[in-house]
Amino acid sequence: YVRGIFKNLHGWFINCLRYLFCCFQDRAGQFFSSGHTNNWAVLVCTSRFWFNYRHVANTLSVYRSVKRLGIPDSHIVLMLADDMACNHRNPKPATVFSHKNMELNVYGDDVEVDYRGYEVTVENFLRILTGRLPPSTPRSKRLLSDDRSNILIYLTGHGGNGFLKFQDSEEISNVELADAFEQMWQKRRYNELLFIIDTCQGASMYERFYSPNLMALASSQVGEDSLSHQPDLAIGVHLMDRYTFYLLEFLEDIHPASKTNMNDLFKVCPKSQCVSTPGHRTDLFLRDPGSVLITDFFGSVRKVELTMETINLTDPIEQLESAESGELQKEMHTYADQLPVSEIIHQKPKQKDWHPPDGFILGLWTLILLVFFQTYGVKHLKHIF
Amino acid sequence: MAAPLTLLLLVAVTVRAALFRSSLSELISERVEVVSPLTAWKRVIEGLALLDLGVSPYSGDVFHETPLTIYLFHFLVDYAEVTFMLADVITAVALYMAVKDYNKQVFRKQKFALEADRYPLDCLELIRSPKEMYYIPLKVAMFYLLNPFTILSCVAKSTCGLNNAIIALFILSTIKGNVLLSAIFLSLATYQSIYPLTLCAPALLYLMQRQYIPVNFRRASFWWFIVQYAFMYLGSLFVIICLSFFLLGSWDYLPSVYGFILSVPDLTPNIGLFWYFFAEMFEHFRLFFLCVFQINVFFYTIPLSIKLKEHPVFLIFMQLAVISIFKSYPTVGDISLYMAFLPVWSHLHRFLRNIFLVSCVLLACSALFPVLWHLWIYAGSANSNFYYAITLLFNVAQILLVSDYFYAFLRREHHLTYGLYLKRKDGSEATLVLK
Repeated sequence: YVRGIFKNLHGWFINCLRYLFCCFQDRAGQFFSSGHTNNWAVLVCTSRFWFNYRHVANTLSVYRSVKRLGIPDSHIVLMLADDMACNHRNPKPATVFSHKNMELNVYGDDVEVDYRGYEVTVENFLRILTGRLPPSTPRSKRLLSDDRSNILIYLTGHGGNGFLKFQDSEEISNVELADAFEQMWQKRRYNELLFIIDTCQGASMYERFYSPNLMALASSQVGEDSLSHQPDLAIGVHLMDRYTFYLLEFLEDIHPASKTNMNDLFKVCPKSQCVSTPGHRTDLFLRDPGSVLITDFFGSVRKVELTMETINLTDPIEQLESAESGELQKEMHTYADQLPVSEIIHQKPKQKDWHPPDGFILGLWTLILLVFFQTYGVKHLKHIF
Repeated sequence: MAAPLTLLLLVAVTVRAALFRSSLSELISERVEVVSPLTAWKRVIEGLALLDLGVSPYSGDVFHETPLTIYLFHFLVDYAEVTFMLADVITAVALYMAVKDYNKQVFRKQKFALEADRYPLDCLELIRSPKEMYYIPLKVAMFYLLNPFTILSCVAKSTCGLNNAIIALFILSTIKGNVLLSAIFLSLATYQSIYPLTLCAPALLYLMQRQYIPVNFRRASFWWFIVQYAFMYLGSLFVIICLSFFLLGSWDYLPSVYGFILSVPDLTPNIGLFWYFFAEMFEHFRLFFLCVFQINVFFYTIPLSIKLKEHPVFLIFMQLAVISIFKSYPTVGDISLYMAFLPVWSHLHRFLRNIFLVSCVLLACSALFPVLWHLWIYAGSANSNFYYAITLLFNVAQILLVSDYFYAFLRREHHLTYGLYLKRKDGSEATLVLK
């Protein structure tokens, strides 16, 4: 009987070990299966004017989540088409709220907007994606991704069947967007890309994608409108859109070590809550969405490898002997003196008074005297000379 | 009459000195009605400062005075207030002497006409007597010196006062009959601003009258006199321009001074008519309207001189009025010069028709100028149309004043020829209608 128990224990122990080993292998597998080394996020709000407050709040709440989960500002390109926090119609200046009753201020002190106001244009957006920016563009305005980058692209605003409206004056079409992503693929600018769009008929925007490793989510299907969540009576406008509201709620539960995968993201905001039907597209994505972690795109999880073995560092680098050849030319470099300050500060401007030329004075007074004597007769000359 | 004149001069100088010392002087020197881009004292100082820094004062659009003014103020910039008060005094004294001489001649001509029985019997009440004409020169000097416009112009140190002095000296020398001095002062006045050119015609008429040269196109003496006068005038103008060239060594001043007066590039609001029109004008019409507006100043010379060839001094008055209304940058200083002549025509008061309306409008507009300027520029509740309306009204009132005096003058002449109580052929009363 004891032998049977021992056999059970042994079996159980082997099973545990096997399970642990599998777990470990799984985790190790997961460790190396994602293939990305850095994360980027491009968050775009395309509408201006006060009544489009909710689009700015959408973008800022995704920004907040993404930053909380670890992506630094240097890896986030935030484009806001209008300034709601400092809008003169904002009754609470310097704030952008995402929940009514002002529960959550998504603006805060550390928001870094890279493209603001009229800089948010279709051209700038496409240039960011493809990397074809003028050389003078600062780093904060560039998407410096490489072929090991996972990029999250979030767009919100007003859209239609096959287009997204920028700034109330221009549009980007789904074909243009698909071509931009193909350019990114050919230039090896991304490893995997997650595209989220929260507009009316948003699914039309990802219909035309044809590049690999793209996963897309949209808040509504073609022919449906994405609706806004709730107005705040004190501020007077709708604060968030439904899809992003529930997305934000979902993301609030995510922390950098969480293991939730994309299948849970697809379930965010069902029709009962969103009124519109959210859609997603995964056919271009090479991995199974169930194995893709949320933090692969929304967070920047540093991959840390713990090891117990010691590593020998090589000897310190030896000093190179100085070259003794006489051909070493020593050039004396001096700074060019652009402004001879020492000469200037000790010099006062010479105050030269202007004087009329002597010839002029002579001529003038001669004429005056001539006229005088002509008028009053020559006899007065006697009295002078 | 020297004592009252001296008293008047003292009072005027005291008023000006008091205003110079008060805080109003800065306020007044910035008013656009009193100073224009041509005459502002600030610009004179700026030009002299540029000259001290070694730069031509005509570079840039700041300084638009003639080189002789530079020469004058180079030595007198510290005594500027005294200079302008002296200019006003000279103007007043010159006008006083000129009007005294003119009155003597008017009276003499009247005496000859009476002796020759040229006046109808019923218009004897229109004849002037020395008693009523005794105080006219003093009144002229008073009208000039104590006119608020003149005082404002002097306190603002606008070089309009100097221009007025030169024109007054020209009038004095013309009336005294001195051809050379008249030509020289007229060329100086033309050199300062182009418009006194039109005063050539009345000067010629007067001098010819004085020298008993008949104004007849067929007479050789007429043309010969014109040639002489033109030679003296153009010669002195040429000499003055060449002398100005030698002052600074360049011809920069010609486009800066005369080009500025003629082409009106600066559209700062003033009491004239140019600025509003040219502010809203399309570019390709600008030259056309510029020509139209400038010709308007010179246009009235020939018709008026044909009509008033017997009365050249009245012609001078009308011409001065036309210049100060229609010139490109008028200021209130120009207005005060021709208004000084009004006492000379005080005998016309019974024929003036609109004098009440004109004086009310002039007073109201003068009061409204600063109000609407404040409303436009500072309060922002009015716009340039308001200010231009008052400008228009002011100029219309001036034109009405001048035309009223013209009408009264001609009517008096008509009565002196045809009698005061006009009768038709059947003896019933007739009325005179101005067609």
